[in-house]
Amino acid sequence: MTTLRYLVARNCKLFFKDKGVLLPSLLAPLILLFLFLAFLGNVYRSSIRSVVEEGGFALSGGLVESIASGWLVSSLLAVCAVSIAFTANLIMVQDKVTGAVNDLRVTPVKRQTLSVSYFISTFLVTACVCFIALGAGFVYMAIAGWHLSAGDVFLTVADVLLLTLFGTGFSAIVCRFVKSQGGIAAVQATVSSAYGFLCGAYMPLANMAAWLRDLVMCLPGTYGTGLLHEHLMGGAIEAVTGEGVPPQFVTALKEGFDCSLDFFGHGVPEWACYLVLGAAVAVLLCVFVLLCMAEKKGRSAK
Amino acid sequence: MNAIEIEHLKKYYGEVKAVDDVSFTVEEGQFFAFLGVNGAGKSTTISVLCGRTPRDGGRVKIGGFDIDGHLDEAKKSLGVVFQECVLDRALSVRDNLKYRAALYGIAGAKFTEKLQTLCDLFDLEGFLKRPVGKLSGGQRRRVDIARALVHDPKILILDEPTTGLDPQTRRQVWDVVHALRKERGLTVFLTTHYMEEAADADRVVILDGGKVLAEGTPLELKNAYTGDFITLYGADESELQKAGLDYEKVGNGVRIFVKNTAEATALILKYPALFTDYEVTKGGMDDVFLAVTGKRGERL
Repeated sequence: MTTLRYLVARNCKLFFKDKGVLLPSLLAPLILLFLFLAFLGNVYRSSIRSVVEEGGFALSGGLVESIASGWLVSSLLAVCAVSIAFTANLIMVQDKVTGAVNDLRVTPVKRQTLSVSYFISTFLVTACVCFIALGAGFVYMAIAGWHLSAGDVFLTVADVLLLTLFGTGFSAIVCRFVKSQGGIAAVQATVSSAYGFLCGAYMPLANMAAWLRDLVMCLPGTYGTGLLHEHLMGGAIEAVTGEGVPPQFVTALKEGFDCSLDFFGHGVPEWACYLVLGAAVAVLLCVFVLLCMAEKKGRSAK
Repeated sequence: MNAIEIEHLKKYYGEVKAVDDVSFTVEEGQFFAFLGVNGAGKSTTISVLCGRTPRDGGRVKIGGFDIDGHLDEAKKSLGVVFQECVLDRALSVRDNLKYRAALYGIAGAKFTEKLQTLCDLFDLEGFLKRPVGKLSGGQRRRVDIARALVHDPKILILDEPTTGLDPQTRRQVWDVVHALRKERGLTVFLTTHYMEEAADADRVVILDGGKVLAEGTPLELKNAYTGDFITLYGADESELQKAGLDYEKVGNGVRIFVKNTAEATALILKYPALFTDYEVTKGGMDDVFLAVTGKRGERL
């Protein structure tokens, strides 16, 4: 355990000491938030308004801002939990590139211990950056109009941890096969640009083509994004009734902004979202363990 | 007792026989030089020794432990310094040593004690908190070696440790290594391209094409693969020609190649008038290396 603890500490310290990696990781969520606000903020605000205006009702600017902020922060966290995990795994790839991993292997440390240390440090680093982003998000949401209950905050923290575990597992498997700086840069670029769309973070599922919506609903990341949307926007959307808007518009808003997911015509309850995401994490962990075992077996066979 | 025993070691990469039936031993406390051109199989052999690369045949024992079944014990006997510095450049010298020591179960008070010893030995105190990336080449090398010795290994493997270093830093590195050998009886396994470094070795193995071509002490190798040179100063060339001696002009004099010291003595006794100002020198390790790996057909 001492070995694992020190390896994890080494990996984390390497990440936080490398300003070239740390600064972009910390800035990425803030830049993303700024881009969301600057380019998509008005789109979301008008979308929110249009749902209730269809029934001839109107929402106060503050409430629209609260709902929009919930959407932006939840989308941001959903993307960061996965994309930051890939950045954090850069330490593992760098160790391969610089030969540090070969150097580590002349010590009695087991290959599995080394792999597990990268996994744990990636999780810790990603969680740390995501919680910083969450903190910044909460500040923004408080300014926009706070509608979160203690339960929402607690569940949001749980969602971030679960999504971080999902991102860590996903990146640990993919990065295992990456052996160059160019390779990890390509993977990071692909994940950063594609994952946001594929998990329903960059645009509501309702705005997607039907075939794409069906595809996205088959991917586990979507359920994590849905949970974050529900916990960070649900309170603000419920508050809509306080402004005299009938409950059917609350449902419409929830469906329009992915707080309630729909899987081929069946509503997906919150517990099912946790089940899907939890199962995805379990599968990723199993694949990771199998890969570690396969590597060990492969080397023994030689 | 042998520190390293290698018997019939084989490592193939497809058709390429990187190491082909190599056998040798390194005695405890010995300074062992492992020489060969690039691609001769040195690094592959080291990689197998360290348990990093699986082998295709043969037996390897490190510090008395067979690496089949006792790899961890064997690894604990080894400290390795690679040609390329693999220290974590973003971390301080202290952190690099701390994290390495922990891999051998050395932490807390035990590490603090060990750190002090290493600081005294390698004079690290002045830059202990500095990131490795900001150290000079010589300082980095000292940290590299200190890190390899953090767990008190019996054997230190140095894979071209002085390549790219300036002469002063090379001297510093060797002073430390030789001091360790003297004080602790450390076994040193060296690969190098600088033949003068191998000249001080207790035993030398020359590898080429994955096979051992020559082994012995530097003196044995010099005697077997090179001759002696007599350098004559102020000699009359016409007299040399009359005596039928084959010579070449060098600097202020001429050089005559002889097979060995006995032949040199015989020549001097035969033509005493010619040899008034002269010196007899043995061929160097450079000559041995070239003879074994480049011109072996002529002299083997």
